[in-house]
Amino acid sequence: MAYTEEELKKELETKEYEYGFYTDIESDTFPVGLNEDIIRKISEKKGEPEWMTEWRLEAFSSFKKMVEPDWSNVKYKKPDLQKISYYSAPKQKPKYNSLEEVDPELLKTFDKLGISIDEQKKLSGVAVDIVMDSVSVATTFRETLAKKGIIFCSISEAIQKHPELVKKYIGTVIPPRDNYYSALNSAVFTDGSFCYIPKGVRCPMELSTYFRINQAGTGQFERTLVIADKQSYVSYLEGCTAPSRDENQLHAAVVELIALDDAEIKYSTVQNWFPGDKNGKGGVFNFVTKRGLCHNRSKISWTQVETGSAVTWKYPSCVLKGDNSIGEFYSIAVTNNFQQADTGTKMVHLGNNTRSTIISKGISAGKSQNSYRGLVKVGSRAKNARNFSQCDSLLMGNNCGAHTFPYIEAKNNSAQVEHEATTSKIGEDQIFYCNQRGIDTEKAIALIVNGFSKEVLNKLPMEFAVEAQKLLEISLEGSVG
Amino acid sequence: MEFKEKLISSYLAFEEDLDLLDSVHQTRAKALKVFEKKGFPTKKDESWKYTSLNALINADYALFPRSEASIELKDVKKYFLYDTDTYKVIFIDGVYSPFLSNTTHDGLDVCLMSAALTKPKYRNLINTYFNKIASLEESLTALNTSYSKEGAFVYIPKKTVAEKPIEIIHFASGEEHSLWLQPRNLIVVDKNSQVQIIERHQSLKEHPVVTNSVTEVYVHEEAFVDYYKLQNDLTSASLIDNTYIQQAKNSHASVHTFSLGGKLVRNNLRYYHTGQRILSTLKGVTILEGKQHVDHSTMVHHSHPNCESHQDYKGIFSERSEGVFNGQILVEKIAQKTNAFQQNNNVLLDDKATVNSKPQLEIYADDVKCSHGCTIGQMDEEALFYLRSRGIPKKEAKALMTYAFANNVLESVQLPSLKKRINGQIARKLGVNLGFEL
Amino acid sequence: MLTIENLHAEVEGRTILNGIDLNVKAGEVHAIMGPNGSGKSTLSSVIAGNEDYDVTQGKILLKGKDLSGLDPEERAHLGIFLSFQYPVEIPGVTVTNFIKTAINANRKAQGLSDLGASELLKKIREKSTLLDIDSKFLSRSLNEGFSGGEKKRNEIFQMAMLEPTLAILDETDSGLDIDALKIVANGVNKFKAKENAVVVITHYQRLLEYIVPDFVHVLFGGKIVKSGTKELAHELEAKGYDWIKELA
Repeated sequence: MAYTEEELKKELETKEYEYGFYTDIESDTFPVGLNEDIIRKISEKKGEPEWMTEWRLEAFSSFKKMVEPDWSNVKYKKPDLQKISYYSAPKQKPKYNSLEEVDPELLKTFDKLGISIDEQKKLSGVAVDIVMDSVSVATTFRETLAKKGIIFCSISEAIQKHPELVKKYIGTVIPPRDNYYSALNSAVFTDGSFCYIPKGVRCPMELSTYFRINQAGTGQFERTLVIADKQSYVSYLEGCTAPSRDENQLHAAVVELIALDDAEIKYSTVQNWFPGDKNGKGGVFNFVTKRGLCHNRSKISWTQVETGSAVTWKYPSCVLKGDNSIGEFYSIAVTNNFQQADTGTKMVHLGNNTRSTIISKGISAGKSQNSYRGLVKVGSRAKNARNFSQCDSLLMGNNCGAHTFPYIEAKNNSAQVEHEATTSKIGEDQIFYCNQRGIDTEKAIALIVNGFSKEVLNKLPMEFAVEAQKLLEISLEGSVG
Repeated sequence: MEFKEKLISSYLAFEEDLDLLDSVHQTRAKALKVFEKKGFPTKKDESWKYTSLNALINADYALFPRSEASIELKDVKKYFLYDTDTYKVIFIDGVYSPFLSNTTHDGLDVCLMSAALTKPKYRNLINTYFNKIASLEESLTALNTSYSKEGAFVYIPKKTVAEKPIEIIHFASGEEHSLWLQPRNLIVVDKNSQVQIIERHQSLKEHPVVTNSVTEVYVHEEAFVDYYKLQNDLTSASLIDNTYIQQAKNSHASVHTFSLGGKLVRNNLRYYHTGQRILSTLKGVTILEGKQHVDHSTMVHHSHPNCESHQDYKGIFSERSEGVFNGQILVEKIAQKTNAFQQNNNVLLDDKATVNSKPQLEIYADDVKCSHGCTIGQMDEEALFYLRSRGIPKKEAKALMTYAFANNVLESVQLPSLKKRINGQIARKLGVNLGFEL
Repeated sequence: MLTIENLHAEVEGRTILNGIDLNVKAGEVHAIMGPNGSGKSTLSSVIAGNEDYDVTQGKILLKGKDLSGLDPEERAHLGIFLSFQYPVEIPGVTVTNFIKTAINANRKAQGLSDLGASELLKKIREKSTLLDIDSKFLSRSLNEGFSGGEKKRNEIFQMAMLEPTLAILDETDSGLDIDALKIVANGVNKFKAKENAVVVITHYQRLLEYIVPDFVHVLFGGKIVKSGTKELAHELEAKGYDWIKELA
């Protein structure tokens, strides 16, 4: 792994949220409020077929009967859903042929984010589907993918061009009524990504989406659907940055993964939404539902590095329905200042010989609260299920909290489930040891934190791992003094 | 009439009969209001997620036995620690049995809660300790408080070592068709003192019995309390045990819970600390079969620095039995240098057996050593092979290993005769012929 | 090279060092011996700048530069290396990664650029061969699950890599079997040169069979109560420490 200490040093000097800027692009925004008319309008604006409109309305009627959950270990002021505008798209919505056509203001934003399309195109070989607010405005590498029969586009486009696939799979892993926020998302989602890998195809590049929240008062309701057909493989990267704002912003995404027989999906996330300032003001509410369904001999692997958001509520899960299927969850969650994270996974073993691995690393600093919450469930018909879970917490300072809430439910006598959790802090003796070797304290902490998180960092694709390391250290800046 | 309504309306009649301190009357009245408001816990309560009381409370129970049952010593002797001299506080259907008991006021008090609640000489103790650590919010504890009248009262003064263990046994005679019991125990162990206690609930006939018991234990500075709970009741009997322990500095409190029987058993075990250098030990062995259900809900609240807690629960489940472990370690910000460990290991022997485990860590201090582990699994195949290669048939080898798995919790049992008894019970339950005396 | 003048130090209000004077010249090997609790390890910690100890009087000079007020890493940058009696574990950080970070931190302090990967690799190969260190060992987490001997060998390996001007070996022989002891001693002897100095802190004379000191000092009650040549070490081995206590 490339070592980037010098870059880090530079980054560490930046005190405030470095991506906290606002891009001034004229937006086409709906009036605030949530009702059937708004939902119909969203659907109409996007030119959706009737079945989609109906699907949204059904979700909305479920949603109306639900209440916001409060079982997680986080405290926040519940967002007023009537004060959110449910549709916001940059006004010019052309399909660009070249970068010159792109709004220069937008390009500048990408530059600041360090994800200029140009560079991406040239250097990384990553196809980028950038979601600026809720509508895709640029998609690259599509041709290369198309040759292999891979569909990678916005979900709006997929609804238009591949309705049979969308209709067949949307809501099958996460039904709209699954929970409060998935119901809301199903009713009002404006855009997101769609990916289909045909049978036997190995996707030749990492598919990547960058998300941004841009318009003040605009909640984002992304919808992602990834289908890996039999014997196919895809690695999907999702990275988030958000501009700094005073008011809280709601993000309630839904991500559904379907791995058909013998397929493999690797889904990696680096989440760096605005976490609020040092006094706990502002920041994104990140209430995400992510779940994958594994058919026979398939594998879904979630890797996440969560450093952002004021409040995170997220449990990427695997339903191991098929025999011999595998679920994995690797997570680093960092909280600092007043951040609160309640995150973990669910591994539901239904098929025979299913395996799951959970590695969770929680790092709490400042006045933050960091909770791991995970469920390992072995159904009565799941023979020879295996799970191993390891949850480690690192506490930095004495004003934060680290919590572990595993739920283990086994109904089959051939199950083997193992859960371990530890809590530790960075030892003064470790720092002194590093100091004695000439390594200063700040660097020593970075080194120790990276060591602590290594098992998870190693699971990330290379280009993401570097970014993740960077983020870890930015998020912990100034937390030990 | 719903059973909850019956409990509330019976309260009034019951209360008037009693000659109690004003403060106790008030405590009881307040507690009833809590129960009235909250009712019985349901699966919607996070801490009752895996245990439903519905089957128990959708029935009717006698709250007070109509006639005083008498039982012969020879019929119940086997439930006593007969080869050891002990103090005994024995109840039949909730009523004190002077004939079976062996109490004392000589240097220490081992007597009745009803005496402590009414006699002036205990007034100070009652005002200081009664219902001070038992939860005021938890509905079942509140229900017990509102009905608390009888149980064991133990007071060990300073620098006193209780020379004999104390046995607290509640028998249900089966005279009533179905019975709801609410014993209340208070145990106060003053500075530098020691006591060993064995508690047991035992039905003598296959009639439904539900016991909702509350025990408060106060462990003062440098004191040591060694508490054993033997749960090997008939499958018609259910138990909700609520035990609250408060420890002062340099004290050690240890509770071993052996859950080998009963229909539904719920153990709520709560530890609170008031000083430093405290050691808290919580151990349990659960071996179930049939449709038995045992739920261990533990909580150690670390609120002072330099304390230590150890939790170690083993479960073996066969047939359609269900085990629940719901353990919590809470470490406050101020409780630096806490060492808190929690271990829950389970073996499922049959296809329909279930384990639900929820070991939780809630930590607000950074300089601590806390860990928990939970496993669900089978026997170590390699070890099994080793035994078989020595000529031990598979079935016996398995039984032997299961026995060994459970048995290491027994190592810390301080009473040799008790250890032997439990050891024998475990072996019998698992079908192991030890063929030798331990 | 190293000059210690009337050094007093305490920890949590307890005085441990009670007026130490010591002068170590370049090219010399000094041994500091003494019974348990005499202040040997405190002395090494104080030289390295451990903030748990307060220097109440006196000073430490390295090549004439007063070390007081300098952070541990600044002292390291000046060329002080402490081989810890109990090296700490850093999970997830490999030996290689750690040594690379340390070397580059020191180079940076000297105004040098990072050492190139190939040069670093060459150096690692050379020094690890010297100390009979397996390459697998280099990819393991620092000190995690290391045996006592592996930890000590790793310390000497780091010393060889960092090339300090003053190496202090705190009880480096403890926990070593005879073969490991020889390897470690060989590493130290290869390192020894005209322009650097070694201070060996030890309870037993055993290590001094292999790393031959020019001077031996006996520490007792936080003071150097006797100094001599290597013969003094033999005398201590034969007579024990009791007669020293009487000197104090």
